[in-house]
Amino acid sequence: MPYHKFKCSECIPEREKHAVIKGPGEDLTSALPLGYLNTIPGSISERGCAYCGAKHVIGTPMKDVIHMSHGPVGCTYDTWQTKRYISDNDNFQLKYTYATDMKEKHIIFGAEKLLKQNIIEAFKAFPTIKRMTLYQTCASALIGDDINAIAAEVMEEMPEVDIFVCNSPGFGGPSQSGGHHKINIAWINQKVGNVEPKITSDYVINYVGEYNIQGDQEVMVDYFRRMGIQVLSTFTGNGSYDDLRSMHRAHLNVLECARSAEYICNELKVRYGTPRLDIDGFGFEALGTSLRKVGLFFGIEDRAQAIIDEETARWKPEMDWYKERLQGKKVCLWPGGSKLWHWAHAIREDMGVNVVSVYTKFGHQGDMEKGIARCEEGALAIDDPNELEALEALEMLKPDIIFTGKRPGEVAKKLRVPYLNAHAYHNGPYKGFEGWVRFARDIYNAIYSPIHQLSFVDISKDEIPDQTSFLTQKMISDVNLSEEVTASKELREYTGNYDTITPLRNKTYPDFPAEKKLSAV
Amino acid sequence: MEDMMKDRVEQLVDYIMKNCLWQFHSRAWDREKQNEGILTKTMQILCEEPVEKETPMDKVYWVDAVCLADAFKKRYSWLAALDKGEIKLLMQGLKERMDYLTITGSLNAELTDPHY
Repeated sequence: MPYHKFKCSECIPEREKHAVIKGPGEDLTSALPLGYLNTIPGSISERGCAYCGAKHVIGTPMKDVIHMSHGPVGCTYDTWQTKRYISDNDNFQLKYTYATDMKEKHIIFGAEKLLKQNIIEAFKAFPTIKRMTLYQTCASALIGDDINAIAAEVMEEMPEVDIFVCNSPGFGGPSQSGGHHKINIAWINQKVGNVEPKITSDYVINYVGEYNIQGDQEVMVDYFRRMGIQVLSTFTGNGSYDDLRSMHRAHLNVLECARSAEYICNELKVRYGTPRLDIDGFGFEALGTSLRKVGLFFGIEDRAQAIIDEETARWKPEMDWYKERLQGKKVCLWPGGSKLWHWAHAIREDMGVNVVSVYTKFGHQGDMEKGIARCEEGALAIDDPNELEALEALEMLKPDIIFTGKRPGEVAKKLRVPYLNAHAYHNGPYKGFEGWVRFARDIYNAIYSPIHQLSFVDISKDEIPDQTSFLTQKMISDVNLSEEVTASKELREYTGNYDTITPLRNKTYPDFPAEKKLSAV
Repeated sequence: MEDMMKDRVEQLVDYIMKNCLWQFHSRAWDREKQNEGILTKTMQILCEEPVEKETPMDKVYWVDAVCLADAFKKRYSWLAALDKGEIKLLMQGLKERMDYLTITGSLNAELTDPHY
């Protein structure tokens, strides 16, 4: 096994099996790190907790819901707004965060009364919202507060409201991934099958594992609507609570982030016979193939192909402009879970960059299988890295850019490596054909930023260049390009708008009359 | 001859690993069904044989198989020179290799977890 031992982790020998280098001739049966295990004591992990994984990754993107934490205010406040999962109802779910504000006295005397009071107050404060998700935290779980009983009591007293209870305290798993698992299973056990939806199309899907980061969901739903497909629910970005109670009526589950949401797809397959189709929403070829697969499933491949042709013609010349300028740049692809495999091959194909390392904070071995399979030889794969290992890897690999979260991203800047936010994005959405070009533009702007070039100057010893008074990204990026490329009439920089999402919300779609008899619920 | 077959199987494996996701379901029993369902249908499409796609599960395997067969034909020109018997042999080799890489030889400790 080609394990990689970090010098900084020699004092934590168990860490050795959490990093591998994919050497020549290595495959998944010989190069796979351990994963989804408790963090080794002494290793300062970058992971989140199981409460955060349940609430802030999966629960909170639901848009028409009060998301209440039963615990100290810090649990919800310190994890609030860590992701930009917007919604088309004025971002209700992002604007507020709710907690019962447990204190020491509640640990002694219990906090069930406090919880009930908070639930009722929250519903009264937002009288148009009739749905709530309720989350256990470490403190309330350890004292044994029965939040299910309180939720049932409130629902009996206020029959117009519905409450979902998620028992995923922070200690409920090795990482946030434990919370993803718990909330998937809790949702299908408690809520799916409770609402019968209005079916308006012959082709009905659930779009699963999609969190509408900066509008990703709305971009993809636009494609599906252009194909005449009804998106019954999205689990959970920009998703509606009641739509998600009717997931059992879809014909197909289209799964994007398998790391966070494959559990509910697997259960829907077992319980309701709904097939699961894994797709990639990133990358020209991968996205095109994904749309084609959905089209094939419903016998409307021609509609998918029309979108692929139109979007490719519009956006490919812009992608290729960036590809010429990003060719061979070294990338550390260090996201949380699924993007290490969603992006690993697509960024190489479409942008010409070279992925020298993948890591995952909370991924399982299955994510590493996908990520390593999609990397080229020589890539360093790290599970649950600590900060010192990340620094050592950056020194060793000398990447041109790193895609990661904001905490390790800010650390990377100290080593003069620019970073892009892989979780919340910089100037997203990144999904869709146009979104993928926006991602390339962000990479280009980060690598060739004139300000970033200044960071390479060490003011303690280097001479400060005062002659180069004006620089642009293009002046830096085009130095070694051929005239054929720089003068190309075909290739062009990104020409899209600043806001690509608002226009989608008022768009009208072609009418594809249904052939089958539809429900009239 | 055997080396050529091995090399061709590896080319097909490389395409699947870089571009597909269906081979990496989370449990061994699902991976067995996925590999069997999709690769059998891919072989049938390449051999121009009838393909079952009446049930939702058959249809979802068929969808992946259609895209896989198209990608193979587009990328590997040597495929056009093979007769049906050779394609079946090739696809059998591919199935065995995929089963080894993703199931029997896999180091993924979660494959045998009895629950989702």
